[in-house]
Amino acid sequence: MSAITASGLTKRYGAVAAVSELSFDIAQGEIVGFLGPNGAGKTTTLRMLAGLVKPTAGTCQVLGAKVPGTTLRRVGTMIEEPTFYPYLTGRNNLRHAALLHGDVPEERIDEALAFVHMQDAAHKKVKAYSQGMRQRLALARALLWRPQVLLLDEPTNGLDPTGIAEFRESLKAIAAEGTTVLVSSHILAEVEKFVDRVLAIDKGVLRFDGRLGDLLARMGEQQVRYTVRAADQAALFAALERLGLRHTPNGHDGADVMVARDRSDDLVGDLVAQGVRVLAASVHGDDLEAAYLKLVNGQGRPS
Amino acid sequence: MNALANVIRAETFKVLRKRRLYILAALYWFLLPVLVLVVARVVHVNLAGSFANDGGTVDQGLQLFASPVGIARLALAGPAFTSPTLYIVAVTLLAALLIGDERSQNMWKTVLVVQPKRWAVLAGKVVVTMGALAALMLGAAVFGFLFGAIGTTFLPTDFSGAWPPLIGLYLLQLAQLLAPVLLAFLLITLVRSGVLGVVMVLFLPSLIETLYTVLNTIAQLQPLNRINAIFQALRIQNTWQALPKYFFTSNLYNPGRQASGELLGQIGVSGELSGSGPFAALLGTGMTLGHSALVMGGYAIVFGAILFWWFLSRDFD
Repeated sequence: MSAITASGLTKRYGAVAAVSELSFDIAQGEIVGFLGPNGAGKTTTLRMLAGLVKPTAGTCQVLGAKVPGTTLRRVGTMIEEPTFYPYLTGRNNLRHAALLHGDVPEERIDEALAFVHMQDAAHKKVKAYSQGMRQRLALARALLWRPQVLLLDEPTNGLDPTGIAEFRESLKAIAAEGTTVLVSSHILAEVEKFVDRVLAIDKGVLRFDGRLGDLLARMGEQQVRYTVRAADQAALFAALERLGLRHTPNGHDGADVMVARDRSDDLVGDLVAQGVRVLAASVHGDDLEAAYLKLVNGQGRPS
Repeated sequence: MNALANVIRAETFKVLRKRRLYILAALYWFLLPVLVLVVARVVHVNLAGSFANDGGTVDQGLQLFASPVGIARLALAGPAFTSPTLYIVAVTLLAALLIGDERSQNMWKTVLVVQPKRWAVLAGKVVVTMGALAALMLGAAVFGFLFGAIGTTFLPTDFSGAWPPLIGLYLLQLAQLLAPVLLAFLLITLVRSGVLGVVMVLFLPSLIETLYTVLNTIAQLQPLNRINAIFQALRIQNTWQALPKYFFTSNLYNPGRQASGELLGQIGVSGELSGSGPFAALLGTGMTLGHSALVMGGYAIVFGAILFWWFLSRDFD
C-alpha cells in the first residue's frame, strides 16, 4: 500500500495556480525529498496532504484513505515555522497535543523529549526557546503518536550547522524505524544525505521524480567540491596526489578538492591517514545546487 | 465523540494554565463580596441604632444585600451593569485564549492535523468556554454564599432567601452567554486577528445597535409641519422603545438585571419595573425572561451556523 498518493493535485488562488496537476506516489518507508525554490508550491502541497487546504482539483490519499480523513491521525507534521502556545512549557505543549490526539501515553512525551535531547529544557516556557529548540520540540510533537508518515516542511530553516546535522541524524533514526518521510527543502544539499528519492517542483509543476542518483547522473554531478585547509600545504598536496584526487591550490594553506560523491565522507579520514594535519574541511553544494536550479527552472529535462 | 472528548480535555488543560483567568476569577469571587461586607458593616455600625432603623428598614436592607443569598444575587447582577460588562470581558478573554491563540500563534496548522475532525475541535472549544464561564459563575455564587455566611457573624443577616429563582437566573444567564461566545469565536476567526476580534466583540454589537437606532429614527422622519409634528414624535418614541426588544445587548444581560429588579422590587419600586417606568428602561426589565431567552437563542443559532459553516469549509493557509 502507498503511504502517500497525489493524483492531479491542483490548487488555484484565483487565476494563479499554486500547484498544478501534481501526481506522485510514495511507498511506505520511503524517504523522499520534496525540492523546489521558494514559492514553488511545496508548502501548499504539504498543506493539502495534511488536510489544511482543499484541492481545487485532484485528490490525495494518505495511508490508503482520502484526505481529510481519520488516517491523518497517523501523520506527523512540521509545516513552515514551528508554532506553540508560548505561555506553556515545552512539556505542556506536548501534553496538550497528546491530549488532543487522544492515543498518546504519558511516557511517550518523555521518550519524544529524550529523542530530540530536550528533557532539560522541557520545563521552560516555549517563549524562552531559541529557534533551534523550537524546531526540535516541533519534531518531538510530530513524533508523539509514532506516526507512520511524516510531512516536514523546510524543517532545518533557521538552524545553525550543528542543529542541521543533529536534525539530519534524528531524521535518519526516524526513517530507520520504517516511517515514511516527505521532507521539503529549497536546498538540495540539505536533504541529499538521507533521501532515497527526489520530487522536484517549480511553479507548481513537477519537474523531476526519481532517485537522487538519477538526478545527479543526469546533471553530471557525481563529484563534490571540498575546501581543505592543512598545517602543511605541501604535505596536503602530496597526500592528495597519492590519493589520486584532482585539486587546485586555495590560499597559502589549503586546496580545493574534487571527490567522488560516494567517497566524500571519507576524505578527511583518508588525509589524516596519510599524515596530513587537517585544520578545516568544508563541502560546497554550489555546483550541485546550480545544476539543480537549472533543472527546476525548466532548463533541465523533466522526468 | 472521542474526538470531542479529546478536544475538551486538551482545551481544559490549556485553560487551567492561563494565569489571567485566575486573576479575573479572584476579582469576581472575592472583591465584590468583600466590598459588600465592608459597606454593610459600615452601614450597620452607623445606622443600626439610629432612627432610620426604627422599623427595621436598615436590617432588612442588609438582609437583602449582604446576606448569603443577597451577595450571591449581587454577584449575578453586578457584572451585568459594569461597562463593558464583566460577562463580556470573561467571554472575550476566554475566546481570545481558546481560539485567538490559534490565530495569533498560527496554531491551526498544528491543531487541525493532530485532530482532523474540525467540528470536534470547534465544538470542544465552545464547550470548554461555556464550562469556564459556568465555573466562574458557580464560583461567584459559592463565594457569595460563603462571604454572606461570614457576614452573618457580625451583621443582622441570616441564610433565608429565595434560592431556587436565583439559581434559575444564574442558569439562564449562563445559557444566554452562548450567543456572545459564538459571536466572539466568529469575529476572531473572521477578522484573523485576536486583538481586533476581541475589540469587536466588546464594541461591535452596541455600535451596530446604535447605528441601527439612528437610521431607523431617521427613516421615520417625514417633512415636518404643525399637524404631523406630534405624531412623528410619538412614532419615534415608539421606535426607540421597540427596537431594544430584539437587540443583542438588551437581551443578553436580562437574567442578571432581573436579579437586580427583584432587589428593587423588594425595596418598593416594583411598580416601576414592569411597564415603561424609568427603572424598566435602565435595567432592561421591561422584557420577560422568556423573550430574552428566545432572542438570544436566535442569535446563537445564527452565529453558530455561520461559524461552523465557515470553519468547516475554509482553508487554513
